[in-house]
Parts: sequence; structure tokens; C-alpha cells
Amino acid sequence: MSYYDIDAILTDAEKIPCTFQLDIPDLGYLDNAPDRPLKAGTKVNLPFWLAEMLAIANAGDVDGKQYITFDLPPALSNDVVQALKADPRSVPLRDQSAHFYALATRMMELSDEPELASVLRKTFVTRASEIALHARKVGGVGHSKGKGSEEGSNLGIGGAGEEFLRGLDEWERKLFRKAHDGAKATKEWMETIKRH
Amino acid sequence: MALPLPPGLTPAEVSFLAEMELVTVIPRQRLDSIELLSGKTPPLRPPHRADLPLWLALLLKKQRRANILPPPWLHPDSLREIIHQETTVDPQAFSEPPPARHPRADPARPGRTLPIHQDDDGFILSPPFRPGSCTADAPVGFLPYHWLEVAEMLLAHAADDIGAPAGEVRGLLRDLVEVRAAKLRNSTSVLEGFGGGLMSLRGVGAMELAESRGFVLSVVDGVRKIGASTEAARREAEEEEEGADASDEDMGL
Repeated sequence: MSYYDIDAILTDAEKIPCTFQLDIPDLGYLDNAPDRPLKAGTKVNLPFWLAEMLAIANAGDVDGKQYITFDLPPALSNDVVQALKADPRSVPLRDQSAHFYALATRMMELSDEPELASVLRKTFVTRASEIALHARKVGGVGHSKGKGSEEGSNLGIGGAGEEFLRGLDEWERKLFRKAHDGAKATKEWMETIKRH
Repeated sequence: MALPLPPGLTPAEVSFLAEMELVTVIPRQRLDSIELLSGKTPPLRPPHRADLPLWLALLLKKQRRANILPPPWLHPDSLREIIHQETTVDPQAFSEPPPARHPRADPARPGRTLPIHQDDDGFILSPPFRPGSCTADAPVGFLPYHWLEVAEMLLAHAADDIGAPAGEVRGLLRDLVEVRAAKLRNSTSVLEGFGGGLMSLRGVGAMELAESRGFVLSVVDGVRKIGASTEAARREAEEEEEGADASDEDMGL
């Protein structure tokens, strides 16, 4: 992860639900009450980078209390995980978060979620083969439109395919691009071979 | 940012390398041996067959000075057998690469075969460097490393030498490409379970690798990232266990 990686920065800006464990003066504006101190037990959505620092840092109390505890963000809630378990292909991940996998891996670094990890792994791999299929198809159709030769593929992109592609998160979009570039390069080579 | 090309070879580079494969030609005119960097070509004397690099064979073919003998695996029957193998016999794995060295007749001892696995230069077992996989005495029913490139080039420039109707061969090749592309896509599913993170790419051709390299690498990398925290936790637990064992032993001593 590079310092200038825009996706990493955007992932860090995702909000996660946190609960404050201590009273904190002068932070009331986070809870829309600027004139009062922030009470312990208040739930606030904080960006990941802030929540991470506060969750790890020790408040310096004798009890070793943390400033906040955090929950999984709605994108990784039980509903979503159950839906992914049922059928990974039918969940539009982008609606949950544009950086779904990146956020999930960051969360898993903070708290141990073995079940989440295995569900995500299955989801990623299952969706990957679907993505590769679409990447090949789109290449065929675009190609036949562009040059008017060769049928490319008889499958075409139907409504369902388009919907699936709209639901890809950033990782999956990159995957799609790579698969598409590969298929396109090979197709172009097939064309050049006949010319000389 | 620095280099616009993705890692690995582009299809054009792969097909350039494929032109180094030897093919068998039947010359129509005499041609003396040519000294090339990789060694001398055999002198051409019609009607004796000779093995030439594909690029030279195609050049001579265009000048109508030689005919190319298609490799045996390009015959429709051989292709059909491979498709059968890929679709029905073993729908999961790719068909086997050609055997390291199929037995050949020993010219010195009639009726016997040359010992297998032995070459003048020692053992050459890995596909890109295996000689003679596209010549007339290549084994039937096995796809060599550069199968797609050699087949496409022969179909494009020497279709009249193929023997079988070019349309039929082309159709079979297209089927084979589709079957294997689908397999490569679905082979990612073996990465599903923890601990099973191995994809077998045995028998996959050079052009197929060039096409899917970016995709396969990204999938493997994604799986690695998703499993990174679990893996780290597992390692820590293991180390702790080892540490505990070590301290036990210390106590014993």
C-alpha cells in the first residue's frame, strides 16, 4: 500500500460505528451538542483512520480503558455476510462500499474475524471467474461493433450482466480491467497474424 | 507509471518466440545451409524433408520454395481427441503437455528405439525449451507449449498445406480455445478454501498464459490480501506453540 494510493486513502475515510468509553470534554460537536462534553456510551460514526488510532491507543487510565470500541460497519454487517454466503454473485458489493474488500481487510487487521475472512475469500474467488467471463464477453461485443467483422461472442451483455458489472467494487474493477486487457490483446494479435 | 506494459510477455512477443519452433518442410528447391546465430540450418535437397525454424519455413512457403508439413497434433482427429479429453475425460484439468521424449527409432540399431529422456545436451524437460514439439514426428494428441501460435500462423499462411479442410481445423481450434479459457477462469475456484491456495497451470500454453497472466495474478494477490490477517494470526499461534514446546524442552534439560 503506497502513501499516494488514492484507494487506500479513500478506504481510510470510510466511516465505522464507534462507541465512546470515556467522557471527553470539548468533543460534543461530534454528537451535535457543541456546548456539552461527549458522554461515555455515545455512538458516533468515525472515519477508519481516526477510529483505528483511538481503538488502539490506551487512555492512560489505570484500568487500561480504551477511548472507543467499534463495531463492524454496515457494509460488513451480518445481513450482508449471510447474503454473500447464500449467493456471492447476486450481491452488488459497490452498494455496500466502493472499497468493500479493502475495508474488510483493514477491519480484519484490527479484529479477528475468521468467519468473515473465509466468506470473503469464497466471495472473491467465485465472483472472479464471473468477472473474467464478462470481461471476455464485453471484449467480443465491443470488437464486433468497432470493426464490423467477426461475431466475437454470441453471448452479448444482457441486462443481468450489466447489473452484475455495476456492482463491482474497486478490487473487482481492477480485476475486470486486467482480464479484459488480456483478452483484447490476444484478439488483436489474432487479427494481425492474418495481415502479414 | 514507469513501464506502460504489464508484467510478462505480450501476445506479439509470445508469437515472436513461437517462430523459433522447428517445423518440418518439404523443399521444392535446393538451398544451402545457412549459418544462423542458433546454428546452421540443414541444407535443403528436394524431396528430402528437413526441420527449419517456423519463420524461415513461412518465408520459403511464401516464396513457393517449400511446403510445410503440419505437425501431427494439428490433424482434426488429434484435435478432436484432445477436445474429448478436455471436455469429457477430465473436465477439470488441462490436457497433459507432450511427454518429455516419446520413443523414436534408433537409426543405428534397427528395430529398437532410442532411450527416452536423453538428449545430446542432457535433459530438456520444461516446455519452452523442448525441441521438436511442432515437427512432423511430434507426438499426436498432445498440445505443445506454443500450440495456439503455431497453429494460427500455419492456418494463416500455409492453409493449403494443412491437408485437412482449414475451416474444420479452425473450428476445432476455436472450440479448444473456448473450452480451455473457461477452465482457466474456473480454476480460480480452487483458491476458495484456506490452505488450498494452489492453482495448477500444467499444460497451459504460452498464449493462454499471456492472456490470463494479469487476471490470475490479481486473483491470487487478492486472496492473499484477504487471508493476510488470518494467516498472521495463525503464524503467531504457531510460533507461540513452538515457543512453549521449546521452553518445555528447556525445562526437561
